[in-house]
Amino acid sequence: MTDSMSVRTEATVTPLLETRGLSLHAAGRCLLQGLDWVVRPGERWCVIGRNAAGKSTLLRALAGLGVPARQGEVRWLGRAQADWPAADAAWARAYAPQQAVDRFPLSVQRLLDLSTVRPGALDASAVLADLDAQWLAQRGVMQLSGGERQRIALAQCVLQGAPLMLMDEPVSFQDPAHQARLARWLARLVAPGSEAALIVTAHDVNWIVRTATHVLALTGDGRWQAGPCAALIQAPLLQQVYGCGWRAVGGIWVAE
Amino acid sequence: MGLTGARLTALALALLLALGVAVAAGLALGSAGFDLELIAALRAPRVAAAVGVGALLALAGLAMQVLLRNPLADPYVLGTSGGASVGGLLALMAGASLWLGAGLGALAAGGLLLALTRGALASTDDASPRLVLTGVMLASLCGAVATLLLAITPDQQLRGAIFWLVGDLSGAQGGLGCGVAALAFAALLMVRDTAIDRLQLGSEVAALLGEPVRRLRLLLLVSASLAAGLAVASAGAIGFVGLVVPQALRLLGVQRIRDLAWMSAVGGATLLTLADLVARTVVAPLELPVGAVMALVGAPLFIVVLTRGTR
Repeated sequence: MTDSMSVRTEATVTPLLETRGLSLHAAGRCLLQGLDWVVRPGERWCVIGRNAAGKSTLLRALAGLGVPARQGEVRWLGRAQADWPAADAAWARAYAPQQAVDRFPLSVQRLLDLSTVRPGALDASAVLADLDAQWLAQRGVMQLSGGERQRIALAQCVLQGAPLMLMDEPVSFQDPAHQARLARWLARLVAPGSEAALIVTAHDVNWIVRTATHVLALTGDGRWQAGPCAALIQAPLLQQVYGCGWRAVGGIWVAE
Repeated sequence: MGLTGARLTALALALLLALGVAVAAGLALGSAGFDLELIAALRAPRVAAAVGVGALLALAGLAMQVLLRNPLADPYVLGTSGGASVGGLLALMAGASLWLGAGLGALAAGGLLLALTRGALASTDDASPRLVLTGVMLASLCGAVATLLLAITPDQQLRGAIFWLVGDLSGAQGGLGCGVAALAFAALLMVRDTAIDRLQLGSEVAALLGEPVRRLRLLLLVSASLAAGLAVASAGAIGFVGLVVPQALRLLGVQRIRDLAWMSAVGGATLLTLADLVARTVVAPLELPVGAVMALVGAPLFIVVLTRGTR
């Protein structure tokens, strides 16, 4: 349905994220070559690729964190990354690392208070309840299990209040019930019409199909493909990305 | 966890009361008994130095712990005080100001430690073992250089090896100056409360939240080094105050830099005043160096924290 209405919407809404000719290298290997990519409000992207394909490096580059080597341009809300003062950038993008490292005995509540840059956008206790973590508020961050700490990291990312949210492997430590819960939560958080957008990395293809609206596939040799989830998540692309055969059994993707 | 409201206030009052008791005891007790003339001439400057130096050392420890993101950081353990000793000795031998030399020496040692562990700190990897080992080696190197300088100096005016290596409050000077500097240091940390709290979460996390990480770390490095330098110039290299005090406060549930800063200053002042009281009364009329007393308390605690932290 490419009527004039939707075309105009696409053209007038400022993309939350835009890359032009973004290339990434690590350890003498080309991870990504010339990525031209646009992420708009309301979209939930999942970056896929095999181990060491550069998913985490890409997310770090998109967040403005240090990476081994990069060329090209990344824009947040139409403005080049380098032109954002640090304090303003915190309003634009939030990032949840694969694994948070805690050194000091803070309470979860204090951690969430410190992580909030734009107060009042979301209520911390409501976010914790959504994440099945409401009873963790008074616990110490160093006493949490891996899965609990990961959910708190996601709460930190969301509570920062930035429209562009980057989450590196948000469900790697979650049990199946919490994976499903997080899929529903992320879909509610960034629904069509929302002003926010989400970029995650993940490995579970079925979770990705349930969670993402769009997919960016990295093949690890620098090539990439981006598009709607339904169009991309097909056997040939999965085979190209992961290097093994795939088939859908009753709507469930199985690797061979 | 986390102390709030009434409990925090109760702890604050208890700390202030403890400082009052420690100062009163430090002034009133001693081998010569209660003698007002002696108190004014000898004990008052000594207690003032203990208060000022204790506060400075505790604050330096707190700042270094945030800077290096390591609860084991302490100016004595990681060589900053050793750098101040070497700087102070060199300045004395060259006829320059002891205070300036100690300050520059501490700054050099602190900067060197930060430079050497920079890679490990930038990554999210656990930098603790490398950091502590580097710092301990730096401290050992500074100790060796200080000993060497003392050995080749014929000048009997220089204070003895104990002062430069372990710390001693007998005849300490500049208590008032140290106290004022400690107040300024605590105020500085309290003004940058949120930013420094965020730095505790990691330099990348703080940068993502919009904090000027480089400037903050430079501020912490310079202020912690100068504090350690001042403390060494006044009372020699006293260890473990900076480790014990913030660590104890965190164990009690104090979380914010705003509270930790002034409470560390008060706690450090109390601890060193009491330690000095023990040092000069326990085998009276002989005196122990207060640095040795602190090491007897601090070193076991360091080991406990180290074994617990790496489990």
